[in-house]
Amino acid sequence: MCLAVPAQVLSLDETGHACVDLDGVHHEACVELVPDVRIGDFVIVHAGFAISLIDPQEAEETLELFRQLNRLARAPSTLDQAAEPAL
Amino acid sequence: MKYLTEFRQASLRDGLVQAISAVARPVRIMEVCGGHTHAICKYGLASLLPPEVRLIHGPGCPVCIVPPGTVAHAVELAQRPGTIVACFGDIMRVPSPRGTLLSLARRDGRVRMVYSAMDALNLARENPGIHVVFLAIGFETTAPSTAVVLRRTRTQAIPNFSVLSAHYLVPPALRALMADPATQVDAFIAPGHVSTIIGLDAYRFLADEKGCPVVATGFEPLDILHAVLMILTQLDRNETAVENQYRRAVRVGGNPAARDAMAEVFTPFDAEWRGLGVIAQSGLAVAQAYAQWDAVALYGAVESNETTDGAGCRCGDVLRGIISPDACGLFAVRCTPDNPCGPCMVSTEGACAAYYRYGLGSRK
Repeated sequence: MCLAVPAQVLSLDETGHACVDLDGVHHEACVELVPDVRIGDFVIVHAGFAISLIDPQEAEETLELFRQLNRLARAPSTLDQAAEPAL
Repeated sequence: MKYLTEFRQASLRDGLVQAISAVARPVRIMEVCGGHTHAICKYGLASLLPPEVRLIHGPGCPVCIVPPGTVAHAVELAQRPGTIVACFGDIMRVPSPRGTLLSLARRDGRVRMVYSAMDALNLARENPGIHVVFLAIGFETTAPSTAVVLRRTRTQAIPNFSVLSAHYLVPPALRALMADPATQVDAFIAPGHVSTIIGLDAYRFLADEKGCPVVATGFEPLDILHAVLMILTQLDRNETAVENQYRRAVRVGGNPAARDAMAEVFTPFDAEWRGLGVIAQSGLAVAQAYAQWDAVALYGAVESNETTDGAGCRCGDVLRGIISPDACGLFAVRCTPDNPCGPCMVSTEGACAAYYRYGLGSRK
């Protein structure tokens, strides 16, 4: 539906365009739809247009939630501990 | 690739899968967007879920839902003297009563593939003697970029450019699906990039009126598993809400600048969707203020919408989530990527193309 990818803003010009780094390749993207964008920001680029800013903190918090769930999944459950014979 | 690769780490999958199993129950979750359908098929996510958790594919493929008459109209426009049609790549192979845009592109180059609406406008700038018609497809993710281009066309008074709008809106389609008794859906994985534009409130009716949990979701495998967990957790707590899984990119209020651009340049109307029929206020027509750059105002509206889908093609039922692709008698037999009978096999975002490409579904 809307293939879009994250890219980092390298430079901005006065016509509402940016040079963005997309996995090491530099592209031009229109940033007219994200007026608050600044150099260094990561944006979601779709069909040559930046449509949203990426929030680095939210990204990290989402990943941390996945890590916590993973730790829970790998930690022996209290039942396992209860079933273990006392040495 | 930052903010992509991290959300594909298989090492972080087990925690989500185990948490899902802990709250699993029979549920039919529709992922609306073709991008989600492809990620689900590509990463085999359905096989990681308990069998009672079923993922249903929705109508969110911007190519699949375009009526054949619109493609036929674009083919006719490309054959007008002094005219070029510019369009995205995946609409070029869609069959229509007048053939495909790709066949025309190959024959006399009067159809050009572009990556962006801006490229189509640049084509017009660089060729002042030729009229460029941009066949604009896509949902709320793409419509704002067409709006920006039309605004620039007006401010820069570029005379040889117009838009044949085939933009559609997602919420009206979801409302129509939920009114269809044949569609049985309990919850929605909402399209992440459409949500960056429209925000979360646009889905509120699904939770409040239909009792369906809705989660705006990113496109990586961990995002989708996380969304399934969020939906099941809501159901476990007997809640129905609109939640935001794709927090790194979606703001609750969406993108006001994008919505303003759409509101200025387009007017909603009752549009026909391939396979779903006419849906109230679900299409975007170019607004009167931009009539000078509206291909419909300039060259007339789409006439007939007779389908050219192969006999036995059930793309309409696939788009409505009534069947999965492999339940269609043509799937992987007569209908293949090389010989597509309907749009869901043509488009790279179509559910049939996803099933075929990633080897899902039973083969006859």
